[in-house]
Order: sequence, then C-alpha cells, then structure tokens
Amino acid sequence: METAQAPGAVRSDAPATTGAGARAVRWRPGGLRWLGVVPLTAYLAFFLIIPAGELVVDAFRTPNGAFTLGNVSTIFQAQYLSSFGASLELSALAALLGGVLGLLAASAIVHPSAPRLIRSSVTTFSGMAANFAGVPLAFAFTSTLGATGVITVAFRHAGISLAAINPNATTLGLALVYNYFEFPLMLLLLVPALDGLKREWREAAANLGAGGFTYWRTVAFPILLPSLLGAMVLLFGGAFSAYATAYALSGSTGNLVTELIGNLTNGNITVDPQLAYALAFGMMIIITLLMVVYYLLQRRASRWLR
Amino acid sequence: MAAVTVGPPPARRRGRRHLPVWHVLWIIVAGAYFLVPIISLVQFSFGGLVNGHSAGFHWYATVFADPNFRSSFWLSVQIAIETVVLSNLLLIPTTFWIHLRLPRLRPVMDFVSVLPFVVPPIVLIVGLIPFLTPFTFLYSRPEVLAFIYVVFALPFLYRSLDAGLRAINLRTLAEASANCGGSTWSTLVRVVLPNLRSAVIVGSFLTVAIAMGEFTISSLLSFNTFPVYLFNIGQTTGNEAAALSVISLLLTWALMVSLYLVGRGGRTTAQVAATR
Amino acid sequence: MARIELRGLHKQFGGGVVALDRLDLEVASGEFVSLLGPSGCGKTTALRIVAGFEYPDEGEVLVDGADVLHLPASRRNMGMVFQSYSLFPNMSAKSNVEYPLRIRRQPRAERDRRARDLLGLVGLAKQVDRYPHQLSGGQQQRVALARALAHEPGVLLLDEPLSALDAKVRVQLREEVRRIQLELGITTLYVTHDQEEALSISDRVAVMSEGRVEQVGTPAEVYVRPRTAFVASFVGTVNRLEARVVSSVERTVRCGEVVLTVGADVFDHSDGTSVALYLRPEDVGLRTTLNGDGDNGLPGRVRSVTFLGPVTRVGVDCGLGALVADVSSETALGLSLDQPVSVVVDSARLRTIAAG
Repeated sequence: METAQAPGAVRSDAPATTGAGARAVRWRPGGLRWLGVVPLTAYLAFFLIIPAGELVVDAFRTPNGAFTLGNVSTIFQAQYLSSFGASLELSALAALLGGVLGLLAASAIVHPSAPRLIRSSVTTFSGMAANFAGVPLAFAFTSTLGATGVITVAFRHAGISLAAINPNATTLGLALVYNYFEFPLMLLLLVPALDGLKREWREAAANLGAGGFTYWRTVAFPILLPSLLGAMVLLFGGAFSAYATAYALSGSTGNLVTELIGNLTNGNITVDPQLAYALAFGMMIIITLLMVVYYLLQRRASRWLR
Repeated sequence: MAAVTVGPPPARRRGRRHLPVWHVLWIIVAGAYFLVPIISLVQFSFGGLVNGHSAGFHWYATVFADPNFRSSFWLSVQIAIETVVLSNLLLIPTTFWIHLRLPRLRPVMDFVSVLPFVVPPIVLIVGLIPFLTPFTFLYSRPEVLAFIYVVFALPFLYRSLDAGLRAINLRTLAEASANCGGSTWSTLVRVVLPNLRSAVIVGSFLTVAIAMGEFTISSLLSFNTFPVYLFNIGQTTGNEAAALSVISLLLTWALMVSLYLVGRGGRTTAQVAATR
Repeated sequence: MARIELRGLHKQFGGGVVALDRLDLEVASGEFVSLLGPSGCGKTTALRIVAGFEYPDEGEVLVDGADVLHLPASRRNMGMVFQSYSLFPNMSAKSNVEYPLRIRRQPRAERDRRARDLLGLVGLAKQVDRYPHQLSGGQQQRVALARALAHEPGVLLLDEPLSALDAKVRVQLREEVRRIQLELGITTLYVTHDQEEALSISDRVAVMSEGRVEQVGTPAEVYVRPRTAFVASFVGTVNRLEARVVSSVERTVRCGEVVLTVGADVFDHSDGTSVALYLRPEDVGLRTTLNGDGDNGLPGRVRSVTFLGPVTRVGVDCGLGALVADVSSETALGLSLDQPVSVVVDSARLRTIAAG
C-alpha cells in the first residue's frame, strides 16, 4: 500500500522518493539505490582515479606508447636516488621531531592538573598552526631563521652561527619549518590516544609495586606505541608529500622529489614527462606502503585502546 | 595519561597537585616556537628603511595599492566559493544517500576519503596535465582549480558530514519522516539539512582554507591565485612579502575563530593537506 | 597476615561534601570484611585511602600497628582488584600475573611457576596465554585476582569487583573469591553495594551511609539485629511501622489500632515516645483460616501477590497498616486478591528503633 503505514514493514531499504507530491511512499528493491553514488564515483574517476591511473600506466610507456621499464629504472640513477634519499631523510626528521615534541606536549595537556583552558586553546591553536602551512609559513621562517632572520641576527651578535638550521639551505632547518604543521597534527592525533590510557592501569601498576617511570616503561609506552608510530607514519607521509613550503624556501634549487617533479612540470610544459611519471609513480608506491603500515598499526592500537 | 595520586601529597594533605614543572616548561618552549616566527614576520613587515625613514605601514600600503593583490585575492576567493559549492553539492546528497540506503558502503567511503592522501597534489598534477589538456574549455580557465580542489577537500568535508549524520541518528529520523508522509527529497531538505548546519559549515570552512591556501597546483598550472602572488612577491621584496603573509595569517585566524565559534557544539577536525 | 585499623578517617571534597565522617574500623588478621552501602556512602573512598590512591584530611590507617599513610601506593604491599579494565591489554594473562613479580625482580622460572599456580587456583590454567580482549569479563576478573595475589601481599582489597558482570557469573565468582581467601587466609577488605553479596561471603559486614559506619557485625547480626533505621531498611527487605510506646516496663507499643508486645532484646524507650517497628517479611505469618484460636492473629486482606521463586511476597492490609509477608510459594498458590487472611506477627522478632 502506498500510505504512511508502510514503515510497518521496515527493512534495510527506506522508502524511495516518488517525485512530485508529498504523499506517496513506495518501497523499491535494492538495485536502483546504487544510482545515488554515481555522481561522486564519476567525479572521482574523472578527477582522481583516471589521472592517477594513467600516470601509473604512463610510467611504463615510452613516448610512442610501447611498454618499457626504462622510465622506472631511470629513477634508480644516483641523482634521483639521492633525491628520494633527501625526501625520505627530511620526512624522517620531520616525523621524529614532530613525534617527540608532540608526545611531550600532548602528555602535558592531558595531565589532569592542567587547567581546562589550556587544552581547548591548544587544540584550537593546533588547528590554526596546521593551516598556516605553505608560502606564508616559509616566509615566516625566513624572517626568523633565514640569513637575515631576526633570530639569526640576534645569535650572530652573540657569536653563535645558526647556519646549521637555515631553512633555506639545510635539511634540519627545513624539518624545523615542517614541524610547524607536523607538531600540531601529532598533538591532535595523540591526545585521544593518551585519553585512552585507563586510570585503572596506572593505579593497578602502582598497587603492584610500579613507580611512575616503571609504569610508563612497562605499560603505558608499549600500549601507546602503535598509536605513536601510526601518527608518526602520517607525519612522515605529510612531510614526504609537501611541496609548497619547500619550494618557497629553496626555489628551484631544492633536491626533494616533490621539487624535482615541480621543476619538470612547471608552466604547462612538461620537459621530461617520462621522468615525471616515474618519479610520481615512485612517490605513490612509497606513500601506499606508508598507508599499509598505518592501517596495520591502527588495528593494533584500536584493539588495546578501546 | 591519567595522573593518579600514588605518592604522598607534598606538604599539605589538602590541595590539588600542580602540573609538574617540566610540563610547564614544555608549554612555554612550544609557545615560543610557534609565536616567534609570527613575531619575526610582523617585525619584518614593519621593517626596513624607506627614503631614510622607518617603514611603518609602508609595505601594507604598497600591498593594498597593488592591483595584482586585489585581482589574485579575488580570484582565490572566487575559486574557494566555487569549491565549497561544488563539494557540498556533490557530497551532501551522496553522504546522505549512503547513510540512508547504502550503509555497507561506509567503510568504502572511509577508504575513499583516504585516497587523496595517497595521491598528493604534486603527484596528481602530473597525471592531470596530460589528462585534462584535451578539455581546453575547462583546462584553460581558473575554474578548473575548483574542480581539482574538491578532491582534496573531500576527506575533510566528508568526515565532517559523516560525523554530523551519525550524531543525528539519520535512520530513525528518516523513518519518522517517511511515517509522516515525506518523500526522500523532503527528508533531505527539511529534516537532515537543518540538523547538519554545523557540520556543513565546519567542513566548508576547512574547504575554504584549503582552497585559499593551495599553491602547488595553481602555480604549476600558472594561475595567479593569492598564494602564487604571495610567492612571486616574496621573490623580490622581503618586507612586502612579510606584510602579505601577515594579512594572509590574519585571514586564516579569522577563519579558524569563526570555525571554532560555529563548530563549538560538535567536534572540529582541523587539518589541511593541500597547502603544504 | 596483616591487621588493618582505620582511625578517625575524615575526608571532605570541595563544596562541603563529606565523603568520610570520622570513620573507625578494624579488620583482624585473616578476616574478610565487607564495606556495604549505597553509592556515595564513602566505601570506595575508604578503600582507595587504604590502597594509597587518595588521602584523608585527618585520621590514620595502620597496618599491623604501623602507619601506612606516608607510604606511596606502590610500597604498601597490598593487592587490589578493581571493578573493571585493570588488566594490561598488551600482556597475556600470565604476563599480567607475573607483573608484580617482574617488578620485584624474581627470576623467570619462579615467576612463571607462581603465575601458572595462581592462574590454576582461579581456574584459568588453560588460558594462560590469552590476552585480555580474548577473555570474558568473569575470566578477566579472575586474572585480576590472581595478579593481586601474586606478590603475596598482606592485604587484599576489592573494589566492587563483580559489579560489571552478569548475575550468574557474579554468584559463581563471589564464592570462588571467598574460597580462595579462606584458603590463603589473607586479610580482605571488600567493597560492594550488593547486600546479598556482602552477607553471603563476609566474616563481618560494615554497613555504611554518608561517610559513617552505621553498624559492624556478622552478616547474621546485621540482618537480624539491625541497630539503626538505615541498616534495617538497607539490608534485606523490611516492614517499617510507626508506633508509640505504651509501657516501657511491659514493652508494649501501640501500632495503628493494635497493641503489640515487643520481644527482641533491647527496649529502652520511655513511655509515650514514637518508635519505628521493624519486622522482616519472613517473620510475618499468614493463615487462611479465620477462626480466632487465640493465635495473636489480626484480620487482614490480601493486597498483592508477587512470585519471587522460592517464596512469594504477599502484600496485606491489616490493623497495623500495610505489611509485606514472605510465604512459601506452595502456600501462596491458594491466595487471591482481596482474600481475607489472618496475619500473625511474631513479637519475638519485632525490633524497635527510636524514630526521628
């Protein structure tokens, strides 16, 4: 029947629309529901999946269209490998930096003695800091730690050279800049994990004879480790994929994979498309690996921190 | 980490425990790290000498007088609005539909919302250029940026909408609506949307942040958006670039504060990928 | 085994809430004492103070005569079983039980043996390598118990360990807890709000309300001879009637239209004072034959009949007021609503407590 009594026969299909008119409510069998996701699927196919797919395919094709492993093997040449090395090194540094600092900060704000205000303001600020990334961030750090930066100049007066952390020139400097968005991300990821540490564990450990440090070493840290590592994997991925900040800091002299790809693609003229495809493909492989690792770590974390 | 009283309290038995010293130290150090670059930026924006006098607001004045500033800013705003409209048009009905009729697709959607991270902007652009070139109608216009940004805004908007829909227990509401005689469309428009207001706004603000700050794709496709303009200025005048960055920062803050105020009821995921 | 003394424990939370009101309690060596009371009565606070997770504003906690309040929780040599979630999720059952021994640096072989013995004692010999998320709630609590005993503490503390479990599991497990406690002879302090639990397994029960111990005694004492109105009504079901003393010499009170002689022990109320009469449902008899055979029976009428399994709870209205009587279900089969019955009150079982 077509009246509002239909819900009595509730199944997984909610009533379908009948178009004009407010009255009629009819039950439709399964198949047509799938139409609902067609727009999104088509959109993503067009703007994400097909371009990405073509890129992967083209990484194995010569300009004439023949199959080749040549493109991919090119990136194993020393100069490109060093580029990947530089990117991986930077990402590891940024992930480590953001990871450790984020952990310290997160444990501070999760502490029950911390005023309520700290927690919410830090969380909001983290959101803000994470959004500051890109060109403005690069300029901010140039103004701070660059050759004529405020801090650099101040330290020079004191006789200390800060060349080692010049963001325009050194990996460490760049990692420090990346930290600006990595650290808040770590914070936002870790606070829920730290909240998940049950009070009973701390108390039970104490009751059984464990002091603070022993508790952390034997219980809390092992339990947190999957979440911690998972978060650092995300940080790694974020640093690895970053382009704007690095480019704004080192212009066309940068050695990172992303910058390399940028140089090849700039201005609508792809100078060496095969190389660009291969490099991009290489990046995708690495990131996919990271995602798999992340997924596995997440599974373990959610089992323990339920 | 739940701190638990497992040792005798300091001198008094009464009174709350205080945050350990090194925690406080930490917060101060972290605060310094985040504030110093901004302060340096501001300092630079007022720095330098102009005609023998200190610059004061000179750089800001220069910026505002530059027609490129206005045109690039306006372009970014337009694209941001287009991105927001497009992504909401695409995602609201789809997310609604999935929650209602295809709940088994939810894990798939979770996976899909992670895809843009596997194909970051710098990688996507490599594939997009050859793919889109034939579509000259779209490809030559800045509007193409909006279409691309939708992909990167997707995870954030989707997650916001998903959380919002979950919070309102869509199934029950939809059945109640049907019980009262409403069609699916009217359920969406009259029942769901008003309740999703907060999630939509939060997600849209994030989308705007992404769109206004995106540099990678707009620069590689040679469109003169605001971040591209900012970068170009930075290649020449340090002080002017600093002033511009401060303006950009203030805008981001305004956006985030609005986000905080609006999204105060629910949770705010506040991460951005594309601007890096 | 250790002897525990709580002396004058007093604790107030911000906002004037008094959690403990000069609490005194003694637990003899090897004794099993339950702290019984409703939520908020302070029983958990008292336990946590003994354990070292909270501190009193005033008072002392002595174990074997020595003050322990100055010791951090990790050095008090006690074992505690929490209500839930206390097992370390990253360790197997065996590793959990070994934990206190690991901290005390016992050699591996010994640790292993002891952990296995304890897990066997709690009936989990086959689950030694399972992880907490692979164990049921009841099994987890057994592991928690084994772990609390591993380092041979002088005192065992349990904070509502069975509240989160299914009813059947609860009954089973509480008997096991008692069995193990008796076997090991360990001094035990047990917190619960479930009076059946407390009554069935304790040597003594301390009934608490609003930070104070209202009465301490064996389960029988507390049940049969409650000393305050709170204890009388909290422990078990009870009929409470208002009465006025007629003669303190003859121990008679007037309740409703009836004058009753009160048989139970103490009667130190003066003539004319208001008292409350307490009578357990099982001490109220019902006769379906109405002939007055001088049996002290009052005429009454059946108001409600509730089947409870082994007994049936019958509500009757009579000269004393509305009463509840527990009769065997067989007898109750014949009862129907509004049926006239004869209510027999066992005056030896009547207790009076001063009203107000």
